[in-house]
Amino acid sequence: MKPAPLPLVQGTLDLLVLHTLVDGAMHGYGIATKVLEITAGELAIEDAALYQALHRLDRQGLVDAEWGPSENNRRARYYTLTAAGRKRLREETDNWRRYSRAVEAVLHRTR
Amino acid sequence: MRQQDSHRRAFGHLRRRPDDVRSDVDEELDVHLQMRRDDLKARGWSDDSARREALRRFGDLEATREYCRRQDDEKENTMRRRLMLEDLAQDFRICFRGLRRAPMMTLTIVATVGLGIGATTAIFSAINAALLRPLPYANPGQLVRFYTDAPPNIWRFSLADYLALQAQQTQFEQIAGYSDRSMAFNDGNSAERFRGRVVTWTYFGLLGIRPVVGRDFRESDSQPGATPSIIVSNGFWQQRLGGRDDAIGRSIRFDGSDYTLVGVLPPRVGPLEQPHSFFVAAQWTTPPRKGPFMITAIGRLPAGASRAAASEELRAINKRIFPIWRASYQDDKATWAIMDLRTYIVGNVGTIAGLALSAVALVWLIACTNASNLLIARVTSRRRELAVRTALGASRGRVVRYLLAESTLLALGAAAVGVALTYAGIALLRNFGATYFPRTQEIGIDGTAVAVLAFLTLGSALLFGLIPAIHGAGGPPHEALQSLGRSTTGSVAVRRLRRLLVGTQFAIATPLLVGAGLLTVTLGALGRVELGFDTSNVISGAIQLPVPQYQQPERAAAFWDELRQRVAAVPGVAGVTFADGRPPVEVGNFNNFDLEDMPAGPGKSQPVTPWVGVTPEYFRVLGLTLLQGEIFDESEGRKENLEAIVVDRAWAKRFFPNESAIGKRLHQGGCTTCPWTRVVGVVSEVKYAGLDAPDEGTVYWPLGPQDRSRFLILRTRTDPSAVLPAVRQTIRDLDAGLPFSTVATMDELVTRSLQTPRSLSVLVGSLAVVALLLSLVGIYGVMAYYVEQHAKDIGIRVALGGSRADLLRLVVGQGMKVVAVGIVVGLVAAFGVTRLMSTLLFGVTPSDAVTFASVTLALLMVAFVACFVPARRAIGVEPSTVLRSD
Repeated sequence: MKPAPLPLVQGTLDLLVLHTLVDGAMHGYGIATKVLEITAGELAIEDAALYQALHRLDRQGLVDAEWGPSENNRRARYYTLTAAGRKRLREETDNWRRYSRAVEAVLHRTR
Repeated sequence: MRQQDSHRRAFGHLRRRPDDVRSDVDEELDVHLQMRRDDLKARGWSDDSARREALRRFGDLEATREYCRRQDDEKENTMRRRLMLEDLAQDFRICFRGLRRAPMMTLTIVATVGLGIGATTAIFSAINAALLRPLPYANPGQLVRFYTDAPPNIWRFSLADYLALQAQQTQFEQIAGYSDRSMAFNDGNSAERFRGRVVTWTYFGLLGIRPVVGRDFRESDSQPGATPSIIVSNGFWQQRLGGRDDAIGRSIRFDGSDYTLVGVLPPRVGPLEQPHSFFVAAQWTTPPRKGPFMITAIGRLPAGASRAAASEELRAINKRIFPIWRASYQDDKATWAIMDLRTYIVGNVGTIAGLALSAVALVWLIACTNASNLLIARVTSRRRELAVRTALGASRGRVVRYLLAESTLLALGAAAVGVALTYAGIALLRNFGATYFPRTQEIGIDGTAVAVLAFLTLGSALLFGLIPAIHGAGGPPHEALQSLGRSTTGSVAVRRLRRLLVGTQFAIATPLLVGAGLLTVTLGALGRVELGFDTSNVISGAIQLPVPQYQQPERAAAFWDELRQRVAAVPGVAGVTFADGRPPVEVGNFNNFDLEDMPAGPGKSQPVTPWVGVTPEYFRVLGLTLLQGEIFDESEGRKENLEAIVVDRAWAKRFFPNESAIGKRLHQGGCTTCPWTRVVGVVSEVKYAGLDAPDEGTVYWPLGPQDRSRFLILRTRTDPSAVLPAVRQTIRDLDAGLPFSTVATMDELVTRSLQTPRSLSVLVGSLAVVALLLSLVGIYGVMAYYVEQHAKDIGIRVALGGSRADLLRLVVGQGMKVVAVGIVVGLVAAFGVTRLMSTLLFGVTPSDAVTFASVTLALLMVAFVACFVPARRAIGVEPSTVLRSD
């Protein structure tokens, strides 16, 4: 049995969503699937939280949303990164790396 | 999925409505659940369990739906706002640049419309302050003024009247009376006369004015024998008493008598108190006779009281006291009546106000029309540019908005000019308007003024913006584009519109010019009125002897005698005389009289004429002609009764058209027991009631030596101002505390009396000139446009051998037709409205044919030049130049 998926650290969902869009436009279901694949089920992300994040990012102008045909020729809403979104992704990635390095360093020493 | 990029927005953000947002979110979430179900089914889940699992994994569906919608709505709103602002800013930027490239047009519009806005707001503020706003007193609607109604005259009350009213009235909450009196204040260095007022102790309480320092008058102040008390204006307190609180209780010397200062008025007072520096508590006792009628009585009605009942009581009291005074007053037709205090203060300025307001409003309208015309021309020459914009996807609304932005910018510029002019105009009215208009101190920029200004600005933007905007955005773009590269004869609709506008301009300018013409004729006619004598080198001023030092008649007589002798000895003085009034408007008194030959019947009022007291030299010094009889001599003034009078020719003609007036006898002032007064001489007429008043006859009576208030009148051999210092010194030598006030030459007095008609004619005249210039700009613009559009036709005709004179006639005729129609409409309008200003005219009728004809002729002539110049230029061009230009 795999261990139970970890709850998400506050604020990291936006980062993950932005990251999944680096390679191009995706719809919500695609993003959900991709996140699950990449994390191999280690992180528990509810679809509800994902969609809320997408719309929040859209309002902030970090992503753009547009209707387009899906793989099985349904209409799906596709998200792409905006210039502002890419910039934010870079910043947040750096922040996360520094953050996790710092936490890692602390844990390393106490062990 | 790369193809999605082609869906990126080419034209910025496409708008979504709230309904779209709602269905978009629903669909997106549905699609997600559907996809999840499909995936699960592919992995072997049953349809039902797949649906449940999809929902489970999603989490809180409804909350998410709600959250996403809110986010999307917010985004839409922000976007919409930002886009609107961006568009607007862009429109304004482009417009600003465009206007800078047309500085002449921009300046013309901003300056003329600004003038219209500013002048209209300023005049409206004056009218608002004087006519519309209630008086600045407590509950002003309850305030009335009492008067003696003796048609055709309205008299003030007499002391006897006032005391009777005070004792007997029951219908009024409070009444007060006052009479004006100026007194000299001597601060030790120099004496200066101040305007003041004797008021009953109830005066300030009735109006709701409370002194800011000290106290109001009390009933005890009005007891005869009480210490005379005085309340001064805030200005007098500040400037003359040092603005110190401890001035209260101090004794102040006016005209040589002591008054105890009990109070100081607030800085802002009402129009009744405005010009007065001091207020003395009246100590009135029952008079021996009914007259004179020197007291203005005012009253406050209880809230909601009936005026009919009050009027009824007034008539009853008047009737009751009539028999008591029968010996000195017989006019039993005269009654007491009330009018609104505001009506009394504001007076009859409606005509002047209406004229001024309509003149400025018409200029505003004509300026807007002109702006509209100029902007149409501008839009017309830019139609292709606008058509290209439309063809490239700009919506019709966007083009209209762009054009409206232009007019908004222009209107804002005009409003800025208007605000500056409003301030200047209000300052001007406050400083110099008091001669023509009541309550000028109350004029200011208030909410109403701001509202008027905003309304005029918005009105301007719409008036001169909407027509060009609709025109510029109108019509399918391909029409405008098709004409690209080829000159066109222009749209017929535009030409019609512009002609209509120009016609309107002339229709507005014509009545303004007619009005200005009539006022100018009036001014000319007034200037030609003969005062009745040679006014050059005549100078006069007022002297009032204070009561305490000149209580005995002998002292006053001695003073006047000494003064006359000393002034006569001043080098350059040719003659000295005294009078109690002076031409052309300062008549001392009016008096009623009963002729022996034609006594006024029962129920008839006695005749009333100006009644001027003079010393015998008056006629010689001023240069009046003695037509019949003789002048009374010095001794007549010393007699106890008035025995001899001199009348003027108009008087003699009015009462004795067929016989000589010499020797005719009368009883004056309503006195039946006095000895007869005899007419001893007839002299030529002089104007005392204004240059525009008809000669209704004047009576001269010998001034008694004991009279304490006189005008000193001099005729000099040279410029009177050169003699004046020596005269002033002579007066100071005689009595250092005596002011010589309101000094002016006769020419100055005449000029001053014409101030109102002159200012009015200057105001209306200059506005009419602005209107005329704008109309000329309009017709010139239309003609220039017309010949430019028809350059080719003209060229062809000339090339084919058409006569240039014929062509000129044809082209100029086009413009003159428009002008003529405008003028005709304007003349009809002028004919209708000038009669409203008939009370302002003198020596000319409101429909004066000469004025109408000259205005028409002048308008036609200048309009002809404005049409001829561009036509002449177009026809002078070599046809080959025009025909080759395409």
